Amino acid sequence: MKYRTFMTTLALFLFSFHLGIVIISVTTFKDTVRRAEERSLSEHYFITSALIKDFQAVESRGTEIDGSLGSLLQPYSYLSGDKKVKLALYKGNQLVYSSGQELTGPSNIGEPPENGNRLVSIQKAEGRTYVMVSGKLPEPYEVYTLVYLFDTSEAITAWEQMKNMLFVAGLLLSCLFACGLLILLNRIFQPLAQISQTSRNIAAGAYETRLPVSGHDELSEMAQSFNHMAEEIQSQIHQLAKAAEQKQQFVDNLAHELRTPLTAIYGYAEYIQKVARTEEDKLFATNYIMSESRRLQNIAYRLLDLATLRENKLEQSRVRMEELVGGVERAMSIKAAERNVQIRYECRFDTLFCDPDLMHILLVNLIDNALKACHPGGLIQLVADLENGHQVIAVQDNGKGMTEEHLAHITEAFYRVDPSRSRAGGGAGLGLSLCQQIADNHGAKLSFSSEPGKGTTAKITFAIRS
Amino acid sequence: MATILIVEDEIPINELLKRNLQSVGHTCICVFDGRAAIHELEQREVDLVLLDIMLPELDGYEVFRQIRGTPTIFLTAKSSLPDKVKGLTLGADDYLAKPFEMLELLARVDAVLRRTKKECRRFELDGVTIDFESRQVFLDGSPVECTPKEFALLEVLVNNRNIALSRDKLLELAWGFDYVGDTRTVDVHIQKLRKKLDMESRIKTVYKMGYRLEV
Repeated sequence: MKYRTFMTTLALFLFSFHLGIVIISVTTFKDTVRRAEERSLSEHYFITSALIKDFQAVESRGTEIDGSLGSLLQPYSYLSGDKKVKLALYKGNQLVYSSGQELTGPSNIGEPPENGNRLVSIQKAEGRTYVMVSGKLPEPYEVYTLVYLFDTSEAITAWEQMKNMLFVAGLLLSCLFACGLLILLNRIFQPLAQISQTSRNIAAGAYETRLPVSGHDELSEMAQSFNHMAEEIQSQIHQLAKAAEQKQQFVDNLAHELRTPLTAIYGYAEYIQKVARTEEDKLFATNYIMSESRRLQNIAYRLLDLATLRENKLEQSRVRMEELVGGVERAMSIKAAERNVQIRYECRFDTLFCDPDLMHILLVNLIDNALKACHPGGLIQLVADLENGHQVIAVQDNGKGMTEEHLAHITEAFYRVDPSRSRAGGGAGLGLSLCQQIADNHGAKLSFSSEPGKGTTAKITFAIRS
Repeated sequence: MATILIVEDEIPINELLKRNLQSVGHTCICVFDGRAAIHELEQREVDLVLLDIMLPELDGYEVFRQIRGTPTIFLTAKSSLPDKVKGLTLGADDYLAKPFEMLELLARVDAVLRRTKKECRRFELDGVTIDFESRQVFLDGSPVECTPKEFALLEVLVNNRNIALSRDKLLELAWGFDYVGDTRTVDVHIQKLRKKLDMESRIKTVYKMGYRLEV
């Protein structure tokens, strides 16, 4: 592209520049010739009229004209004083006077146009250029033809020199122009090279590479949009990497989650087969086998729930909050009593458009988590309220709470706030993933806020229905 | 036998480890978090620590850093290569990933104990005394002649006492992986041992399984 632009621009320039030079030299040349002709014509006229008077004077004295031609014409030869002018006088076709021996004209030199006009022509002889004016003398001396030769060689040479100089200067200027053009193009195309380098870098994985943006021209605009594109790519890649990482985390967690019960089940079965000696031992081992199997079953069911939720369509209907909350209350009352935790329910709107079964699961899960976080004597509040026109259900506890860092991960499958991942609180670690999925299905937003030691609030914000 | 500290927060696994190790004669102390483990190690002498990595309070790596010197086997669900490398470069004696087999656990425990010379190299039962160092067996004080295979079999039975071992497993452990032979060989050697050491009631035949040395 750069090379092509350079060649095209240079060719255009050279063409127009040299065309200009040619036009100038041609005009100058024509002008030079025209001036030489004009001068020759006027001189010819002057000499002719002067000669007529001389001829008349000579005749009035009664002397033969032919004999005194030399002395009559002599003074005119020196008219110009620089020997550029030569004169010749013909009588008929016969040369009767010539101011220089070297004068050789064309063969028809003595035959000027019959109509009395004068003939102007350019003659080249012995490397010199002449303007030749020939014309007959007026009556009664029409037998005489005066030929006036004006040597314009110098003017022509001067023109030629000027022409050569113009072309040399043109050549120099062209070189200068080519260099300048090359530098300019390099400067113009430099950002393009930069862009291609940057895009190569980005393609190679250096997503943080950006173009420098300077000024307010089209290039900086392009750099800006390029940077914007790079930013988008970077964030997309980042998201992909994050998703992959989450998946990996999920698989790792699942593997860990499966490994422990499997180890226990296998271990106790092996224990019964090879070691157990008393009925008590066997009972002890089978108990663990059963409880660990149940844990695996629980995980399997929850995973299945998640998978089904992801695919299935909701059966939404307008549900009375009283019914929904009542169901949750019935489900949680025994658990809450066991843990000596009080649960308070409060509804400030009457109906909610949702899938009642799923919403029930969601609320029960949230309250279950709150229960686990609470100390005996704690308080959980379920509040359904309107916030800026959005229906919001909040579950708030005054339990142990958690840090920001944990909050960011709690909806990930198998994530446990406890680094040891112990199951002191029970559960498969899938409850909040399930909640998140249910909220997503409803187009609602599930958010958490927490402060260690003070408690946690889970909030479901429903979209405004038109 | 050895005193082993089990640091594992999963109660079923902790209990399982304890029962298996106890059945072969080790003494076990069970703790469920890192802090308790360190506290326990300050209180008494322990021959070996079975240390889970993901623990409440302090993780296994941190506990290991603080108890340097006590032989340790890391026990974990993390089985990736980097985790293993990390555990071993820290200086652990062994690394056991869940799920594991009981016999593998016992074999590894034995191996570490043998290496660290904490293992009691004598074993006594009824009138029988076995000296593993000199590879001699005594019945009521008088030496008993044993072939090398008989002694190897006896050693395997003693190291995995109270655990039923299949004939194949016994062949593998006492004769070696590459042994090609009839499992009858095991029965013959067991009969000989029973007779020589007067152990008819101790070396039990487990129906459809194999043999078990009951202590």
